[in-house]
Amino acid sequence: MATSADDIGPEWSGRTRSYRPRADWKTRIASRVEFHEEAIDGIDPVDFEVIRQKLWTINIAHGDTITRISGSPVLATLDFNMSILTEDAEVVLNAPYVQFLNAGAPLGIRYILENYGDKPGIDEGDIYCCNDPWIAACHQMDVMFAAPVFADGKLFGWVANAGHQYDLGGIVPGGWPQNAEDVYSDPVVLPPFKLIEKGEMRRDLEALYLRQSRLPDMVALDLRAQIAGVTFARDQVLALCARFGAATVKAAMRLMLDQAQENFRRKLLLVPDGVWTETRYIDQPLPHIRHNQRTQLTVTKRGDRLLIENDGTDVQTPGVNGIPFSTWSGSITGIISISMLFEQLFAYGGSERQIDYRPTPGTLTCVDHPAATSGGILHAVTMMNAVQAILSRMLATEPALKQDLVAPTADFALPVLVGVDDRGRYFGQAILDSFACGSGARSFGDGIDASGPSYSPLSMILNIEQLEQWYPILYLYRKDDADSGGAGRWRGGNGLRSAVSPYRARSMSIITNTGGQGCTTISGQGLFGGHPSPAGHYLIMRGTDLHEWLARRKMPTEITDLHALETIRLAGKSNGTELGAGDVFELRVGGGGGYGDPLERQPELVARDRASGAVSSDSAERVYGVVLNADGTVDDEATEARRAALRAGRKAWKPVVREGSNTAPVPATGEPDRLVHEYVAATDRDGERILACALCGQQLAAYDRSYKFGTLVDEGPVTDIPGAQDPALHIDDAMVFRRYCCPGCQTQLATEIARADELMFHEMRLVGTAKAKAPIGKA
Amino acid sequence: MRYLIGVDIGGTFTDCVAIDTRAPGGRAMPRIGKALSTPPDFQTGFIAALQAAAEMHAITLEQMLKQAHVYHGCTVGTNALVENKTARVGLLATRGHADAIFIMRAGARLKWMPSNYIAHVSKQTKPAPLVPKHLCQEIDERVTFDGRVLMELNEDTARDAIHRLVDAGVDAIAISLVWSTANAAHERRLRELVQQIAPGLFISISSEVSARVGEYERTIATIVNSLIGPPMEFYLAALEQDLAAHGYNGNLQIMSCAGGLIDAGHARALPVMTIGSGPVAGLIGAADLSRRTQPGDTANVVTADIGGTTLDIGTIFQSEPVRRQTASHGQFEYFVPTLDVRSVGAGGGSIIHSDGTALKVGPHSAGARPGPICFGRGGKQPTVTDAAAVLGFLDPDYFFGGRLKLDPAPAEQALAELGLALGMDGKQAAAAALRIVNSQMADAIWLTLTQQGYDPRDFILYGFGGAGGLHAAAIARELGMAKAVIPLSDLAAGWSAFGITASDALISEHDAVSMTNPFDPAGINAHWRDLEARVIARLVAQGVTKDAIRIEHHAELRYALQTNQVPVEVEGGDYDPAAVDRMVGAFEKEYERLFGKGSGYAAAGFQLTNLEVRGRASLSDVALEAIGLGDHRRQGSRKGMRMAVWNGGAVATAVHDGPMMAPGDCVAGPAILEFPDTTILVDRDAVAGIHAGGSVVITLNTRQGAA
Repeated sequence: MATSADDIGPEWSGRTRSYRPRADWKTRIASRVEFHEEAIDGIDPVDFEVIRQKLWTINIAHGDTITRISGSPVLATLDFNMSILTEDAEVVLNAPYVQFLNAGAPLGIRYILENYGDKPGIDEGDIYCCNDPWIAACHQMDVMFAAPVFADGKLFGWVANAGHQYDLGGIVPGGWPQNAEDVYSDPVVLPPFKLIEKGEMRRDLEALYLRQSRLPDMVALDLRAQIAGVTFARDQVLALCARFGAATVKAAMRLMLDQAQENFRRKLLLVPDGVWTETRYIDQPLPHIRHNQRTQLTVTKRGDRLLIENDGTDVQTPGVNGIPFSTWSGSITGIISISMLFEQLFAYGGSERQIDYRPTPGTLTCVDHPAATSGGILHAVTMMNAVQAILSRMLATEPALKQDLVAPTADFALPVLVGVDDRGRYFGQAILDSFACGSGARSFGDGIDASGPSYSPLSMILNIEQLEQWYPILYLYRKDDADSGGAGRWRGGNGLRSAVSPYRARSMSIITNTGGQGCTTISGQGLFGGHPSPAGHYLIMRGTDLHEWLARRKMPTEITDLHALETIRLAGKSNGTELGAGDVFELRVGGGGGYGDPLERQPELVARDRASGAVSSDSAERVYGVVLNADGTVDDEATEARRAALRAGRKAWKPVVREGSNTAPVPATGEPDRLVHEYVAATDRDGERILACALCGQQLAAYDRSYKFGTLVDEGPVTDIPGAQDPALHIDDAMVFRRYCCPGCQTQLATEIARADELMFHEMRLVGTAKAKAPIGKA
Repeated sequence: MRYLIGVDIGGTFTDCVAIDTRAPGGRAMPRIGKALSTPPDFQTGFIAALQAAAEMHAITLEQMLKQAHVYHGCTVGTNALVENKTARVGLLATRGHADAIFIMRAGARLKWMPSNYIAHVSKQTKPAPLVPKHLCQEIDERVTFDGRVLMELNEDTARDAIHRLVDAGVDAIAISLVWSTANAAHERRLRELVQQIAPGLFISISSEVSARVGEYERTIATIVNSLIGPPMEFYLAALEQDLAAHGYNGNLQIMSCAGGLIDAGHARALPVMTIGSGPVAGLIGAADLSRRTQPGDTANVVTADIGGTTLDIGTIFQSEPVRRQTASHGQFEYFVPTLDVRSVGAGGGSIIHSDGTALKVGPHSAGARPGPICFGRGGKQPTVTDAAAVLGFLDPDYFFGGRLKLDPAPAEQALAELGLALGMDGKQAAAAALRIVNSQMADAIWLTLTQQGYDPRDFILYGFGGAGGLHAAAIARELGMAKAVIPLSDLAAGWSAFGITASDALISEHDAVSMTNPFDPAGINAHWRDLEARVIARLVAQGVTKDAIRIEHHAELRYALQTNQVPVEVEGGDYDPAAVDRMVGAFEKEYERLFGKGSGYAAAGFQLTNLEVRGRASLSDVALEAIGLGDHRRQGSRKGMRMAVWNGGAVATAVHDGPMMAPGDCVAGPAILEFPDTTILVDRDAVAGIHAGGSVVITLNTRQGAA
């Protein structure tokens, strides 16, 4: 964790406020804890390469050990992560699974070091366990296990994993209570405790832990698997130390951290200084509250450092819209890891030395105890999407980095089916089809249809045959969802539609959990004029004529093919809606955001998407302005005319009202023009450094102001987005879809989804002089 | 039959091993014939390799073929897939489920991709679909997991769909319906409809290609089968014609990835079984060797088949190769019963490069063209082979028995340039690169064994393939193993072809089931009898007599609330409740061995998911322990000394002429053993001996290896 420029106070203790190590945290480690800090100088580069590879292999095998031993269907979908850390808990390696999931390990381990170094102590063979969201867990269901590694009798490092459990109590089975007003309705919270003492399981503590669960036997199996995982990894790291010498292995670990830091620093220095912000809303703090809440993320980049803040985020309220500090900061490092540190293969630890976090506590993205946290974990995806939009805009300012950006993916929609099958067996399982969401568009190409989430590259969906074998359901279809990726010069990858009906079920009900505004307003944001992707949904049609279809030997391909007595759209948070025989439930899984003005998309690509069904005719004509011939080829002339008309229509958009500020103009720098956005360049004009349209030269704003001040804006309903539904179905806050274009050439430069009462989002404000200042952080 | 012939077609070479089973002196005498592969008409290279082997036996091709069994491992299917020269396939899938092949189970498609690909999210992609969307037709029908027909097959709309595909010009069809594993009636009926509408079209149905639960992997298997069906048919017809023209009138037997031979007719219907059969044959040969003569004195073996571009890893536990249920074509994973062979991008052609702070090796390869710098064919980037040449491990005048002259000087120059930033000269960079690649190979093997639930220290390593001898001892040492074996010395270079000749006829038939305990013995018996009948019928059709067939029964179970499915060998015969209990007991025992004590949750009950019957029969009676290798004389094998760089220091190293070594001979390291096609390194703390069966066994002094 970064040593913050402005040190934090003692209230960040993990009691009310989240635990964060303070600048002097190491001074509070009991003297009986001896760090093994020796590292040889100038490690042989071949030794380094060999050890680096072996640490990576050990970490991956750590994960394999967990899935193999547990056999759990939850862990089999890779809902866990594992890491190797230094003695003072810097992350040397993480794994390609859910990125934020084990981000709390450095926090938890530092808490243990600060608080328990003396009693109960940290000894060889110990394993600590913790699921406290104010200390180490991203929510209570993801339990962390951390084992110290001792070399020559001194604390050499740590290995840790965090994995999702079946059940740890609380008012709703499975641990995602959507009606939890505070943490006392959540699954049990366990601050760090030493479950294994010098190699021996504390049977009393094991019993205490398992007693919290509705499924103690299953939790016991996963407990063993996770313990076996850290034990295995610890022994392998020790074997490595025995072979190469602990000081050599430590030197390799330090060099990995330094390389990650240096790589991150070098990339940051390529980006101009500035402030990037992103606002995202979270619907319904509790079921039946028809309002959303606001979060804001601000990233200030100066030299080679990042400052991350959450000013503008609503104060926490009763309900499940909050995430703790560990989840918030983990969302940030997770996205940095996949977009800026891929060369390091998830060895992101060193990057944190360049990051300062300054969250306002007591707000939704840094909740204090006793907020409910378990049911809000899906908002971590909302946060990651905010980070992804910001990092993408930063990377787009530098040609060498632009190819690494990916627009945000979809928010997560998670229905849970519970009930009893016709053989009398209880079942309760989340349908994880959202792991086949579409990915966001890239600067050079479309997003990937049903790619799975960028923040967890290996997450997968199960075959419908596996699901039908395990649960009393019948999948009518699982198919590509047209228009679910955001439109753009490069479109977002499409998501899915899956429809299920009970089969051989005695009873069944659906519980819904949704991140952000994922089932009312938006899935993923668009970039640089690309459209956001429309929200997903949970649609139930009751009392359908499915049976008659089957008798007629025709299978419906759309849920709307069916006649129903009643149609219900479930809210993003709901606690049990019955599904009976003949009822059909459709889950719509979102796609990724688009990139660039849709009118700039090659018409042939639109024709291709029409042919495959990936894009609707409505979208082709209204958003892309592409007219096709009867044979599906592009009608060039009609397309040109249509696009001209659409562009002309944008001339009628309103100028953005200029703020009355008279900030001094930024003087010209004499530097060459520089793209700071897909369509916006920094350039010198009349002695001033300004932002101008890169396509037509139209002046937009002073260098240090949002370029949007010089644009034209259109504000319309969210339903202007093809395939979008009306947010008013579930929330009373008026939501609008805004598009911004260049007054000179009418190129669409930006889109945003906002509450109607919000002013324009600034998105990006570059700082002062365009020339990057000398680094202010430590090297 | 006097000659036993194995032919393995690889990307560059076609290897032929022809064993004269009645050679003078009572020992079977193998001879290797090599020829360049000749895509797309692979049969030309095939005949040329046979010709070369016949010449080595000093007879004509016709004389040899008149008294021969010809066994064949072919890459025609793989090649067609890789080069995109496959049939135009139409897919018939259950309405609502055709998109499974585009969705690819989301991130599951990345499971076997290299880590640097997984990490660089913006560069990830999905491959072009195996069947374009407009050639996917959905069929109105539905079967459920319990085998019930929820919706009858709508033959009217099905006919229309088939007509649309035929009109679109498909030359093969894949039929894959949801839950056809539980009830295949609709798939079979659809096949009849296709046959009526378009007689002669190549058709695959998923319940026959690979009856396992999981529509994505089953559908991909079925599509792959149809993609390569027509090219395979074309190739086998041409090959059979050419063989007949040269006097061969026997059955052509084809190697399958399941680890045995199937007849050519079977391979025509199920060509997907031929993909990956080359490396599998290598594993079969190794398993056979470990069973019969046991060089290295253990039946637990890891095989490292090291070629120019890849390392293929296989595992043999107690002489039985470890199997798996899926294989991959790029990001497409599909069901096929196969031996578990994993490929890693590391081999002789792997390129050595630097990121400025550390030396890296691979995963890119210079391949055969342009190849290593020292080959003098235009290669500019140094490779692992270059490093070996620079260090003095390869004799520039005796590479491939002198068929290829090496020039190490420009390679050393290139390595020196690379090493400059890291403070290394050419030889140091070469030594560093070898150490890194050996470590990488060892790590890949370590991870494979860990994932399979084994401890490397309980195994020894067999190294074969073109570069097996160079790396085997170093990898084994890195893994903490006691021994490395170069199986049958020089035959190691053509080991897959050799493995083919060591293979039995093997037929595996399986049924996906979905049974919950208490299991009904009658239901299980019905499956056993049906599976046994299917296996026997196929083997008899293959030319095997009924009495020669050995039948094995395998069941796959899992704990009801856990996902690990574990296959176990179980008894045959008529099942009663006691036999069912023994089956469950065998599963629990194996589960505990694989995943640890107490890791199974029996209170939740058991699921029986698959029943399989395997039938084997030997097609020849050649015993490998009686193989003659060379014309060794007793007056010593040492042919000179050469400077070679071991662990950083140049040492005058004894070079031995391998074919001159006799069983019982021992050589202490450092030493280099040279065979025409294989060079074997024996480092300082090792001793190499010639095993009675002709293999080279390197005994390593046990310095502790780690992860």
